[in-house]
Amino acid sequence: MAGIMELLGMALGTFLIFSTLSMLYKDNPFFRVGQMAVLGSSIAHFILLNMQTVYNNAWTPLIGGDILMVIPLVLGLLMYSRLKKSTAWLARYPSSVLIGIGTGVMVAGTVSGQVLDQIAVTITDVLNGGGINSMIIAVGVVTSITFFVFTKEHTGVVGSSAKIGRKFLMISLGANWSGELVWYLTQLVGRLMYVKNFLTALMGG
Amino acid sequence: MSFLSKLGNIDYRWLYITSLILTAIPLFVPIGLTVTLSEPVKDYYAVIQDLPEGSVIAVSFGGSAALLDEQEAQFLATWKTIFSLGHKVLFYSTTEDGPMILTNHLGDKVKPEDYGYTYGVDYVELGFSPLGEPGQASFATDIRGVYQVDRRGTPLDDLPMMDNFNNWEGIDLLIYQYTSCTDIEFAVRQWTVPYQTEVIATTLGCCGPMAAPYYPSQIAGFLSGSGAGTELEVLSGNPGPGAAMSDSKSIGILPQLIFIAFGNIAYFAKMYSKEEER
Repeated sequence: MAGIMELLGMALGTFLIFSTLSMLYKDNPFFRVGQMAVLGSSIAHFILLNMQTVYNNAWTPLIGGDILMVIPLVLGLLMYSRLKKSTAWLARYPSSVLIGIGTGVMVAGTVSGQVLDQIAVTITDVLNGGGINSMIIAVGVVTSITFFVFTKEHTGVVGSSAKIGRKFLMISLGANWSGELVWYLTQLVGRLMYVKNFLTALMGG
Repeated sequence: MSFLSKLGNIDYRWLYITSLILTAIPLFVPIGLTVTLSEPVKDYYAVIQDLPEGSVIAVSFGGSAALLDEQEAQFLATWKTIFSLGHKVLFYSTTEDGPMILTNHLGDKVKPEDYGYTYGVDYVELGFSPLGEPGQASFATDIRGVYQVDRRGTPLDDLPMMDNFNNWEGIDLLIYQYTSCTDIEFAVRQWTVPYQTEVIATTLGCCGPMAAPYYPSQIAGFLSGSGAGTELEVLSGNPGPGAAMSDSKSIGILPQLIFIAFGNIAYFAKMYSKEEER
């Protein structure tokens, strides 16, 4: 049997669920209360956890003698310089470091993992008798890429290929969208299960 | 107003109310629809099962509280499977919500201690670090460079499981859990390509199509959405939240499919009648 504090927590959760769902009818004060409560608590949680991360991973090693930790700390602090217009330009330094490192780390893996390996798998699957599925994938890959060829007018063979590619892209987007739809439904089911659990607990179940 | 116009202009709130009712009914009266197992889920399970006992699994945990309903079945069934096979686990969180979810899971729902696990010896939780792709690259090459201490503040050198272990070489399998669809590329670029580490992944239903191109050549198996979580529950014999959700989703989706069909019929019929008028 749930304790009184647990019941109160579940009641608050249920209230926030219905406040959020009330937006489906129209905007109203309950929705805004629910929205602000979720936003406020999330932001507080994020700030505290990030402060803890900086403390554990940068500040503690720094005071323990790892002088190099001053670099990420200073770069991090420079991000806040954009809060004032006259110093905003300083934020470009940490941004450029982030972009530079991010790009450098990404490039090698992209060429090998996402271009060469993907092409190789697409071709070898067909050559190794991968069946109708591998043929469909190969045709889909070639025609979809043709759709994004802008240096040649989409007429003749290129035009036909691009038209087929467009169909493949639409099917792909449809598959993505169906995943979104089921995802939203899952969220609804999850929240309804929460409400059901609350009602069961309320009745002493 | 013609029938077609009415069909195309039904108040969308009818969709919400019918979905809500149909979704709620199976929660109170379970129907028990069958679950079909898919190849990526079977492979995901087989990869964990085929590891020798005592293998080290790194879990890159990118769970989100707001999206937990979609992934909780995947997570819980995965923890139960790993713990029941006796593998060692290194958890590290890539989202701010990660540690909070893991606390709830490992502290309450699937306690490692119930499987004979000891913290620091059989599993370690490293906590949150805003990793991103460069962070994954750093973690793979120098774990202590990213995490000086575990989530409880214990230096990694004081944890027996971390003895002589500081990079990808000590990891037999990476379970990459993420919610931002393109993040699967991080695992491919930073683990599969440079080190050929075996990777399996779990993600949201909407991210599945973006993970699929990497399966099975670069990702050995993956779970996409709560449906895959339900499949893993069935496959591993560990019933959980996924099984309870399954009926509701199957029934609750019906009004949406019907509305999509009605909307399309109305749209094309209107277009056809306009062309005829011309």
